[in-house]
Amino acid sequence: MALVQLQNIKKSYQLGKTEVVALKGVDLTIEHGEFTVVMGPSGSGKTTLLNIIGCLDRASSGSYKLDGDEIGHRDFNDLAEVRNRKIGFIFQNFNLIPVLDVVENIEFPCVIRGEDRKALRERTLKIAAEVGLTPYLKQKPDELSGGQRQRVAIARALVTEPQLVLADEPTANLDSTTADQIIDLMLKLNREHGVTFVFSTHDPRVMEHARRVVRIHDGVMEDGTDAAAHEAGRMHAAMGH
Amino acid sequence: MFSLLQIAVRNVLRNKRRTAITLAALLIGVSVMVSIRGLLNGLQRSLVQNVVQGQTGALQIHRAGFLKNVLSSPLGLDMPQDAAFERKLLSVKHVKAVSPRILFAGMINVADQTIFLGVQGVDPIREFQVVPLRAKTLDDKQQFASGKVADAMVVTEQLASALQGSNVPKGAPAALLAPDRDGALSGENVTLTGVMKLNMPGEKKIGMVRLDVAQRLLKMEGRATEYIVAVDNIDNIDQVAADLNVLLGKDYEVSTWEDIAAFIKQAMQRQNFILSLVASVFLILMLLGVANTMLMSVMDRTREIGTMMAVGVRRSKILGLFLMEAATIGALGGVIGGAVGSLIVLVLNRRGISVSFPGSNVPFTIQPFVTPTYLLTIVAIAGLGALLFAVYPAWRASRLRPVEALAGG
Repeated sequence: MALVQLQNIKKSYQLGKTEVVALKGVDLTIEHGEFTVVMGPSGSGKTTLLNIIGCLDRASSGSYKLDGDEIGHRDFNDLAEVRNRKIGFIFQNFNLIPVLDVVENIEFPCVIRGEDRKALRERTLKIAAEVGLTPYLKQKPDELSGGQRQRVAIARALVTEPQLVLADEPTANLDSTTADQIIDLMLKLNREHGVTFVFSTHDPRVMEHARRVVRIHDGVMEDGTDAAAHEAGRMHAAMGH
Repeated sequence: MFSLLQIAVRNVLRNKRRTAITLAALLIGVSVMVSIRGLLNGLQRSLVQNVVQGQTGALQIHRAGFLKNVLSSPLGLDMPQDAAFERKLLSVKHVKAVSPRILFAGMINVADQTIFLGVQGVDPIREFQVVPLRAKTLDDKQQFASGKVADAMVVTEQLASALQGSNVPKGAPAALLAPDRDGALSGENVTLTGVMKLNMPGEKKIGMVRLDVAQRLLKMEGRATEYIVAVDNIDNIDQVAADLNVLLGKDYEVSTWEDIAAFIKQAMQRQNFILSLVASVFLILMLLGVANTMLMSVMDRTREIGTMMAVGVRRSKILGLFLMEAATIGALGGVIGGAVGSLIVLVLNRRGISVSFPGSNVPFTIQPFVTPTYLLTIVAIAGLGALLFAVYPAWRASRLRPVEALAGG
């Protein structure tokens, strides 16, 4: 069963008196374990698409199944639950909670769902070590570099053991060396843990590593989706699970 | 490990300047409210003391109908003034002392001047047991109380002034004239031994003679028109009044100081009402400050709220987080303001404030105080009020759409 199944997803906004159509009927399937890049110019609808996949926004029409469950019409709290249990987010601006230190930021999504603290701390320390944050556990976000902050965001996205991690331009605010390290880290996590990653990016280096590139333009999926990469993702998923 | 409450507290401490300004507003508001309450408490306690211990006693006993006809000096509505009657009164629980009085209207003649006045016939020693502050209003308390001058009479400064300029020689002879109980004009020679000050506003031309002089003048030997009663604790007056009513039956009426000096009670109620009004305005202004701070906080932290929503925080928890932050500020401001206000009240209490009522020339000292219950109430009101005024900003935060919040609103 595919992890993400979008069928004829449409999304329009009311901007004053004008109706802006952001997605004009998108079909997309993402398998478990894929490392997918969504590409497109500004205003093409890729962020809207990611928001819908991430349950941060709802489609105006169409069907969205996540791991086989239709979730397009669920209410806010249900969607919050889905995000908390199944989806991790990595943002362009890192979006850490300033009053929490590194460990607390990583643990935050699990604390709000009332997870057992001892087991959580063990898992957090393990993930922190994996993303190279062990020396910074008690630091506050404003005491960290951009790369370190993004590592915290990655650790926070992974601590809930999600099925899907969405990354919206995760390297846009990083220098090239740090961006490379972050991409390598995410590739490693994808490879070793089978975590499904979906990116939106302009960064050609991310695209180099992508097993699948989905292009979107004016709210429509373009032809040229890399079928071979898609197939590779499927194979990977099959091996990983 | 941490909880939402800890995050709320950290958020309060995060923008130190903004929190400090909001706390300062709360601190000033609460401390001013506590100080005003303290002053008013002190003033009202002094008022009650002046009335109860300086004029009316805690309770008064009259024959039924006396108070309704008090202006016509109804000497017919009298009661026994004897040991048996007094033992009966003293048998009531919480009654500490009783003292008889005769109140009547008459005229005083000094040299070639005659002036109308109100007269109280009292038993000085017992009178000063029931209303001890009254003794302080006399310029020569010993002389009047000792009975060395059997026909001694003291008059108010205002009456003395009306009689002979402001210069009444001590020991001046005078004649006291009044209709007796049967309506016949009667007279007694008296000696003006001193003057008394008025400790409360009211009738200014007053004289005071020993009870036996009044009884002789009015042909009322062994009779009195009222008894004043002292109780061990002012809080017991309602119970004592009820017990005396049962004991004395329907021929008598028992009045508390609040019934007699109703204007004092009304003045206190007015003061409390005005204080409540002022306090409410202060409170609303303070809490609007809290609401403003919370609104600014929501605007500043829109992206953070979006992040929280993205990782799965429910709307109710976002609402709770901002309410907790407001309540923390409110409670903190309430506690610090309460402490500062208490300190001000304590200093004023130690120093005392000397004042006198309009229409009175007896100064007295106000000692401000606040009760722990009031302090707890004010802290609770500050905390709960802040919570209430933060409902709108918190609700706005909780109703943000994750996508819009992540984009910074």
